[in-house]
Parts: sequence; structure tokens; C-alpha cells
Amino acid sequence: MTTSAAPAGDGVAVNPLRKGLSVNRIPDPCNIVFFGASGDLTKRMLMPAMWNLRLGDILPANYGIVGFSRTQFSDNDFRAEMKKAIDQFSRTGPAKDPLWSDFAKHISYVPGDFDDVNCFHKLREALEQNDRELGTGGNRLFYLSTPPSVFTSIIDQLDKAGLGPRDNKTGWSRVIIEKPFGTDLDSARALQAEVSKVFEEKHVYRIDHYLGKEPVQDIMALRFANVIFEPIWNRRYIDSIQITAAETVGVERRGGYYDNAGALRDMIQNHVMNLLALVAMEPPVASDADSIRDEKFKVLRAVRPIDRIRVSLDTARGQYDEGAIAGQPVPGYRAEPDVRSDSNTETYAAVKILVDNWRWADVPFYLRSGKRLAHKTSEIAIRFKSLPHRLFGDDGDALDNNVLVMKIQPEEGISLRFNAKVPGPRMHIRAVSMDFNYGTGFGVVSAPAYERLIGDAMRGDATLFTRWDAVETAWEIVMPVPDRWLDTIDESFPNYSAGSQGPPSADRLLAMDGREWRRI
Amino acid sequence: MSLESSTVSTSLDAIRGELAGTKLSTSTFNFVVWIDDPARRDWVLDRAGMLGEKHPSFTLVLDHTGVRSGDATVTTLAKDAETVYSVRGERVDIDVSGTDPDRVVGYVVGLCDAGVPTILWWTGMREESRTIFEALLPFAKTLLFDSSGGSRDEEAMRKLVAFHAAHPEVELRDLAWMRLRPWQDMIANFFDDPNLLGELFSIRRLQISSGSDSEAFYLAGWLASRLGWSASGRGAFADRDGHTISFTRTRVGDIRRVQSVCLDSETSWYHGEVTDDAGVVRIWVEGTHAREPRLFPLPAIDNASLLERAVLETGADDVFETALCSAGTLLG
Repeated sequence: MTTSAAPAGDGVAVNPLRKGLSVNRIPDPCNIVFFGASGDLTKRMLMPAMWNLRLGDILPANYGIVGFSRTQFSDNDFRAEMKKAIDQFSRTGPAKDPLWSDFAKHISYVPGDFDDVNCFHKLREALEQNDRELGTGGNRLFYLSTPPSVFTSIIDQLDKAGLGPRDNKTGWSRVIIEKPFGTDLDSARALQAEVSKVFEEKHVYRIDHYLGKEPVQDIMALRFANVIFEPIWNRRYIDSIQITAAETVGVERRGGYYDNAGALRDMIQNHVMNLLALVAMEPPVASDADSIRDEKFKVLRAVRPIDRIRVSLDTARGQYDEGAIAGQPVPGYRAEPDVRSDSNTETYAAVKILVDNWRWADVPFYLRSGKRLAHKTSEIAIRFKSLPHRLFGDDGDALDNNVLVMKIQPEEGISLRFNAKVPGPRMHIRAVSMDFNYGTGFGVVSAPAYERLIGDAMRGDATLFTRWDAVETAWEIVMPVPDRWLDTIDESFPNYSAGSQGPPSADRLLAMDGREWRRI
Repeated sequence: MSLESSTVSTSLDAIRGELAGTKLSTSTFNFVVWIDDPARRDWVLDRAGMLGEKHPSFTLVLDHTGVRSGDATVTTLAKDAETVYSVRGERVDIDVSGTDPDRVVGYVVGLCDAGVPTILWWTGMREESRTIFEALLPFAKTLLFDSSGGSRDEEAMRKLVAFHAAHPEVELRDLAWMRLRPWQDMIANFFDDPNLLGELFSIRRLQISSGSDSEAFYLAGWLASRLGWSASGRGAFADRDGHTISFTRTRVGDIRRVQSVCLDSETSWYHGEVTDDAGVVRIWVEGTHAREPRLFPLPAIDNASLLERAVLETGADDVFETALCSAGTLLG
């Protein structure tokens, strides 16, 4: 038999039939284990993602899906639960036979405690059975979608049960770890110490689902696939950058967790810092995972540490009071379930960041995130400098700064604001907006981030996952803030109404620099 | 916002006059549609309409079916006083039956926006339309075609092969090829396991059943171009080592649909066959690399979506073009 398959650069033989098809490379045969399988994330996001990966032929022919959690389910019970979840939450609608029955054959369940090694031995038996019966080849992807408090326990038990990479002689073992990776710098380092005892960095996929969103990936395309932006992407032309992650929801069922975390740890340290790194990084030398992650890390290293004594000047915090969202009354934060009635936790955080490097010196990055705000919106707004000389326009005309807005959610697209002449005999100038929308621009709806990210982890592509050095540096950057906030009770809390733009202190943060927030 | 249609004579001046009175609009491409088959007219108009509604474009329907009564319809945004700017399509449908090529070209030149690309969707089946096709070609950046759109035989594909040989500069999109993507994914899926890649190079027989010939020729041409086979007749290829691969095609089932594909290697038989549910293919392997049957979704991609994809994908598709050339060598 003649074998002429050409190996790819990474040593993986390339299927010549894949050129030009939906995906270049289908993942290796593998098992994916969802820890916390009875939880909300599995039902709403993870299992619908697996189903749609199956429908899109992104899954390999030989795969197994194993749920693991404390809830006592039989295999059939778990399949029925997952069917309900897919029917309710999948973007492609209810799962139908015969495809569902075929998919369900690949699903099994192991009930167990996260600190009971016997349960992990049972898990190992289930995986080995899948290797034999489904041909999953000893490859294992462990997805930790549990509360962070049990991450170390799961990793420890995986090792004890011989499920770590060291003991896997036939295939690979990888782990996806949901955010938050630690609740502060010390806990993150402690978690990393435990993770690294079992998994090398190349086997660890720290997930931040923001990075799987198409508009976030488009930040790099916008910057590095166009010639018109990069020449002006620097301190010479850019006045300031605002990164916003605003939500209308409250803490919902996460009050217990959130009251110990707050907006800064929950959003700014991970999602927003990742966006900052993508906007500010230098062009990578290649498009592989480490080339991109090297550049993101360099940006974070260049962020000027927030001096503890400047925390009150360079940050703002808020906590929502009762108010109305979309006309519906909602309670204040302190009245939410599992939240202390005298809580000092911030539900809104704003931080001014400076990046001390050649490109960004003196350009402020204003980061903000909050709950129960007027609208749900995530965006990056690049505000360009003012005109050096006013040539056009009547005295009454406002010559606005140009603003490039990358919209991440719920709208996905790019908008550019520029000044134009108002039709008529006089030289009136008015700001107008040029909008690109993903939905209408490409006529397609973006796939949910989890589909992309799970598929990438199965393929071993870590580009959209966060490396430890970046996680650690992001914690180093933000830690002086919560440390200081913990020490000082904010007597003004609650200081913004649900459904508003946020606390007045956030407005003052920008007013000190002669700037204003974009309206949420 | 509502659309407003008015019927005018087929005079270029009358049509332009009607367009000039409309509000300012933005167009991203010209979409020129040629129809000469009355049986397919409504089908084509529906799909063209869907594309025009979704994307800011100027649609020019050149209707050679004789169904229209010697007039033109101009469809634009309603002249609503409150609407100053709009981003949406305009459309002109013209009866061009009995019209000479120069006049048809005149419509394209006189009505299309020269600043945006022109995409020509040619649904023409009649030989007498050929001179008009040749006359319109210089204005088209992209040509959309459907080699299994109107007939089951290989004639349309033969024309396409000849056209591509004569006009390699025109970006070609064949809807028949684009419909095959799920089958290509499925066939590739057989060999994703690195241990089975070698099987690709020991294939000795290929059998394809489809409702029209284009699908069979395209799949065979695609495999041949990806695996380095060369045609050694209408029913056989030779691989790089000189081994013969026999190729059998059977015309069965609905037009534009593949029913089954079977690849035989030296050791195993790789099967894919549509089940009772037309949206599901059962795939299995017999022989040394035997694999239990599994089901594979066959997404129902509607033609409007295919058209949209064809319009939005820019540049030449070299996988398609090499597959077309390989299919051409089979056709002889």
C-alpha cells in the first residue's frame, strides 16, 4: 500500500481532502469530560455547543462525552436531561432523531464527589470503556465547569486516579479551566501551583469565553489585515480608549460567589484585560498561539502598576440600588439572595490604566464594567485626537473627535464616527456614523463562543485561551485596587440606581482628565 | 420603509428616468440575472429577490422567457418624504425576449453601477442565448451558474468546463458544486484518523449515485484533483503509481441530489448513503478498517443561501477549479 499523506508542520498528518472544507483539521478521537455536568453552564452552553459541533461535523467520528457531578443520574437520566437542555438552549433548535439517538450513544455519566478518588477510578473505567467501544484512543479533555473551590480537588484526584498526562501512555490529556482562575493573586498562584503539578502549561486551556466571540477575534483582523488602521494606532493619533462591559442583569443566582468577588475580579481582571491586550498588542510575528499570546503578555507587562495611594484617583466603584430595567422594577444589590445586607462589594468598577511603552505612552485606557446598567453592551471605543486646526464649521458646530467602536455584544460589528458636511449652502459640519454589522455584512449569525473554544481545545489550538503568565500579570495589575477597597468601606453604597449609567464617581474619574464616558 | 414598483417601457431612458427619481441608496454589487427558461422563471426570480432584499445591491433581471409583455418594472424604495437616505436594493426587470445582444449590453452598461462588482447569474439553457452570454461576459467579475439546475445530463457541465478553459480570468461559482460541501466533509471524515490516511492512496473503485450527472463528476473530479489521479477514460482514473481506479456513476433519485458514495480501497469499503430521512446520511466502513454505522447530518442548504455564499466569497476557488478541470478530463 502506498502512503503519500504529507505531514503538517506540527507533525500531524494532513488529510488532503480537507483543503477548502469547513474545517482544516477535525480533532483527534477523544473523550470530553464535563465536571459539574448537572450545572447551569453545561445545560445552557456546553452541551448545546457539543450538539452543534456534532451537527457541523466538527467532532471526530470517535468521541465520547462523559458527565461527572454529585447528582445521581443514570446514563439514560443524564441523556434525557441533556436532551431537554439542547431542546431549550441550542441555537439550531430541538434535537431530533435519528441524529439525536446517534449522538446520545456517545453520552454517559459518572456520579461522584470531587474529592473521592474512588469516583475518579470509576471515571477512569468509563473512559477506558469508551476507548475500547467508541475508539476514543486514550485522548481526554477534562472541562472544569464547577465552582472554583473544587478545581484543585478535581485536578488532584485526576492525578491520583492515573488520569493525568503523566499516566496517559496512549493519548493526550488536556484540561479546560473555567474562569475565575483564582480570586486574587495569591489564590491564582496557589491554583496554578496545583495545576502545574499535574498538567504542563501546554495541556492547560484557561477559558475566557469573550475570546471566542467573533468580534473579539476580529480585533486582530481589523488591526492586522488592513493597512489603514495600523499607522494611526498609537499615541500620536489616539486620544484615549474606553473598554466597556456593561450588563443589565444583576447577580442572579451567583450572589454567594459574587459578594466575595465583585466587578473588578469578575470582569475587569479577565474579560476586559484580555480586550485591552488585544487592542494594544504589537503585531505578532506569526498567527500561532504562542506568538499571539507572547504579544498580549508584553502589553500586560507594560501596564503601569496601580499605586495603592492612587487607587482613589484612578478608579471608581459603585453598587446598584433598586431601580428599573426595561421598565421593570428590580431590587438593589443588598437585597439580592446570598448577598450580605451591609455588603461593601462593588457591582461596578472603573479603572484608568496607562501602558508604558513606545506606542501607548500617556494614552489612558478607561476600563469599566458593571451590573444593572442601562443597557447590555460590550465595546471598545478608540477615540482619536482632536483636529489640530479648525477649518470648517460654524461656531455652533461641534467638531467631534473621530471614534472607532468595536462592538462585541449584543451588537457585533464596527462603527466609525467622522465629521461630514450637512447638505446645504453653508459649511455646517456634523458627526455621522458608518456602521458594519456582522449579521448583515456576512449574512451569517456568529456561532456561540463555546462552540469555537471547545473545538479549538479538542484540536489542541490554544490561541484563544489565556496563558498563565498573562493571568498572573493581570492579577498583579488589578490587585492593589481590591486590596485598597477591602480596607475602606464606601459609605456612599449603594450609589447608583439600577438601570442608570453608573455611579457619579465614575464620571468624575474621566472628568478629571477632561473626558466623558460614552453613553451605555 | 416600503418598496414601490412602476412599469415603464423597455427604453433605457425611461428606466433611468424612473431610477433617477428615487432616493439616494447604497449599492455594494450589481446582480445581473439572465432567465430564458419559462419553467424555472419563478424559481429564479424568488431567489434573486431574496438576495436583493438582504444585501444592498442593484438587481437587473434580463427576462428572455417571453412571459413578460414587452415592458420593464423598476422597483425602488418608496419615495417617502421622511426617508432621506437608505441602504437597500433597487431592482429592474426587463423583458429582453427578441432583443439583440447590443441592446442587452446597453442595459447592463447603462443601468449598473460601474463602481461596484458585477455578478452575473446565468440560468440560461438555450443555445441561442449564447451570443448574449458572450457579450455580457466582459462586464462580469463573477459568474454564477448551476450545472445541475435544469437538467440531469452532463451537457451543462461540459459547457462550464469549456467556458473555464476559455475564460480562466472569470471567477466561477457553480451551485451544483457548492451543494456538495456536506458530502465532501463526510468523505473527508472517513480519513481524518491519521492511521487511515494511507487508505486514500489505495482507493481502487469509486461509485456514485446521484440524480444528475454534475454531482457525480464533481465528486470524482474533486477526489482526483486532491489525490493526484488522472483520468484514463470516462470510467477510470490512474493514481500516481499507475494503479487503476474504476469510476461508476448511476443516475438515480432527485435532480441535484447525491444518493450514495462508495469508495473501495485495497482493504476496506467506505460507504455513505442517504437514509429514509433525506437530511441524514448513514456512513459505515466494511473490511479491515470496519466501523459501525453512524449518522451524518446533511444540512438542507437552500439555494438562496448558496447564492448568497457565492456572492460573498471573493476570489478564485482553486479547489473548485482543479476539481472542475479533473471532471473535464473525465468528460473528455
